[in-house]
Amino acid sequence: MKTIHIFILFIIVAGAQLFIPASMIFKQETILETGTAFKFKTQPVDPSDPFKGKYIYLNYEVNSIASTDSSWVSGETMFLAIAKDSLGFVRATNAFRDNPKSGDYIKATVEWYDNNQNELRFSFPFNEFYMNETKAYDAEVAHRTAQNDTIPNNTYALVYVKDGEAVLDNVFINDVPIAQYVEYPQ
Amino acid sequence: MNSKLIKDLPELVEKDIISKEVALKIEQYYQSQTQDSPNKLFTVFGVLGSLLVGLGIILILAHNWDEFSRATKTIFAFLPLIIGQLFAGYSILKRKSATWHEASGTFLFFAVGSSIALVSQIYNIPGDFSSYLLTWVVLCLPLIYLLKSNAVAILCVVFATWYACIYGYGYMTSGQSPWLYLALIALVMPHYWQLLKRQSNGNITSIFNWILPLSIVIALGTFINRNEEFGLLMYVILVGLFYNIGKIPFFDDQKLRRNGYLIIGSLGTIGLLLFTSFNWIWDFDYERLFFNSQEFFISLVLFFITVGVLVYSSSKRWIKGLNLFHFVFILFTILFFIGMTNDLISTIAINLLVLALGLVTIKIGTDKFHFGILNYGLLIITSLVVCRFFDTDMSYVIKGLLFVSVGLGFFLTNYFMLKKQKSIANLKKINP
Repeated sequence: MKTIHIFILFIIVAGAQLFIPASMIFKQETILETGTAFKFKTQPVDPSDPFKGKYIYLNYEVNSIASTDSSWVSGETMFLAIAKDSLGFVRATNAFRDNPKSGDYIKATVEWYDNNQNELRFSFPFNEFYMNETKAYDAEVAHRTAQNDTIPNNTYALVYVKDGEAVLDNVFINDVPIAQYVEYPQ
Repeated sequence: MNSKLIKDLPELVEKDIISKEVALKIEQYYQSQTQDSPNKLFTVFGVLGSLLVGLGIILILAHNWDEFSRATKTIFAFLPLIIGQLFAGYSILKRKSATWHEASGTFLFFAVGSSIALVSQIYNIPGDFSSYLLTWVVLCLPLIYLLKSNAVAILCVVFATWYACIYGYGYMTSGQSPWLYLALIALVMPHYWQLLKRQSNGNITSIFNWILPLSIVIALGTFINRNEEFGLLMYVILVGLFYNIGKIPFFDDQKLRRNGYLIIGSLGTIGLLLFTSFNWIWDFDYERLFFNSQEFFISLVLFFITVGVLVYSSSKRWIKGLNLFHFVFILFTILFFIGMTNDLISTIAINLLVLALGLVTIKIGTDKFHFGILNYGLLIITSLVVCRFFDTDMSYVIKGLLFVSVGLGFFLTNYFMLKKQKSIANLKKINP
């Protein structure tokens, strides 16, 4: 094969290498710009990833919905219809197997069906918030300290939702972005 | 060693052992050889440097510089990737040396990984780690052929294996197998084939002779889902396959340390047989074994491939002396199915098989006057004795005597062989 042919093939490969991260960015930016913002009450803990760095793992308060349908299987994808309460916090209203035609909804994963409580347990795919390596553990501590305030849980994640896809924009403690809160606790 | 020889040359000339011309020729020969090696060394350091810089960049970016805006961080995500691509493109276009190809390929490999990781970090995209690794390897596989890079090929094999482990051994994906791993390895194969054809004795080829079988040994377990018992059979046949491949003269005629297939095959066979020589291993629930399972079919495919290699190499008269090791996988398969109805027969037969393998190895060692093989045979028998030490209700006296006799065996066989070797050497001296 001639050098120029190899080079053309290389350009195609290089294009693919650029395309994958670029398409990821494009998808996320679209949701951030045109999606609806919801607040998800959460509790962060601090693990780390070898390539992406430190993150806080977010345990959301909304993690179950009353359901009489016990045929849900663990690991199944579900569509969760959601609404906002008066303060902008998210509320799960219904669970579907196919995407609902109207209203806001997000894709979630079925954890298990709780036969005793007749509840469907689920988890969201946006449960990792990446933070500066020096701040991730402090964020976990800050959340725990902030819990002692008069308001019971004042940590929430701001999530933009569009057509079932969600982008986690930021995490707030007492309405202050968590990275800032860690530096200057209120 | 070469430099020692060159240093000794004046002395050898002085003592009239070699002539001046011969000394000159020897010196010239070694000098012409060393002219190549700085280039090789430079390549190795180039690759190592790129590897470290690439990994360093991943770590620096993983720090998460939250002072920067999302846009700035995004630029940083693409910067190493574009730099890597420019270097790689330049080395293709300008037909630079292998060093350029290898170093830029290695750097680009890590740049691809870091850019995907960083975008995930910026947008908090939670990681399905296995699909991240898969995307990474797929995006870099073409570089093996475009840059003709061995380093990228090695990285692809290592990361494909990592992918298989995360996918197949992971808790979330239990019951699934990383079939794409096979595709990834298959895509590296043409490169390996070229190496075998062009640089059969190269150091780089022997690295592949090791990492490919190792990768397959590591990844095979990810294809075992529910029928773990068949897993044993799969592994015994796989190491049998490696042994038979390693005995093909192409590999067998090389130095032993270059022949990963033979070493992994031989040690794997002995290890697995020692494991199955315990009676409790056979005490499993055969009613749970399904013959229409994935594990059974993989065993079947591996079995036929191994028989194919064995038959083909004996039809080509490649194998000088067939030994028991070649057939262990067939015997084990038979014993495995006998074990379904009678575990005692299988246990006893496996023990006898290990003993026989030990004796066969000792015999080969003495025939070839090879102390390494001889002692490997003795070691096999010792391991068998040690294993039986734990699960047999023998009196301590008998166990003790067993150990003493095996120990004496070590001394005596080595001693007699050494003596025989000396007498042969003496004979040669007398009648040269």
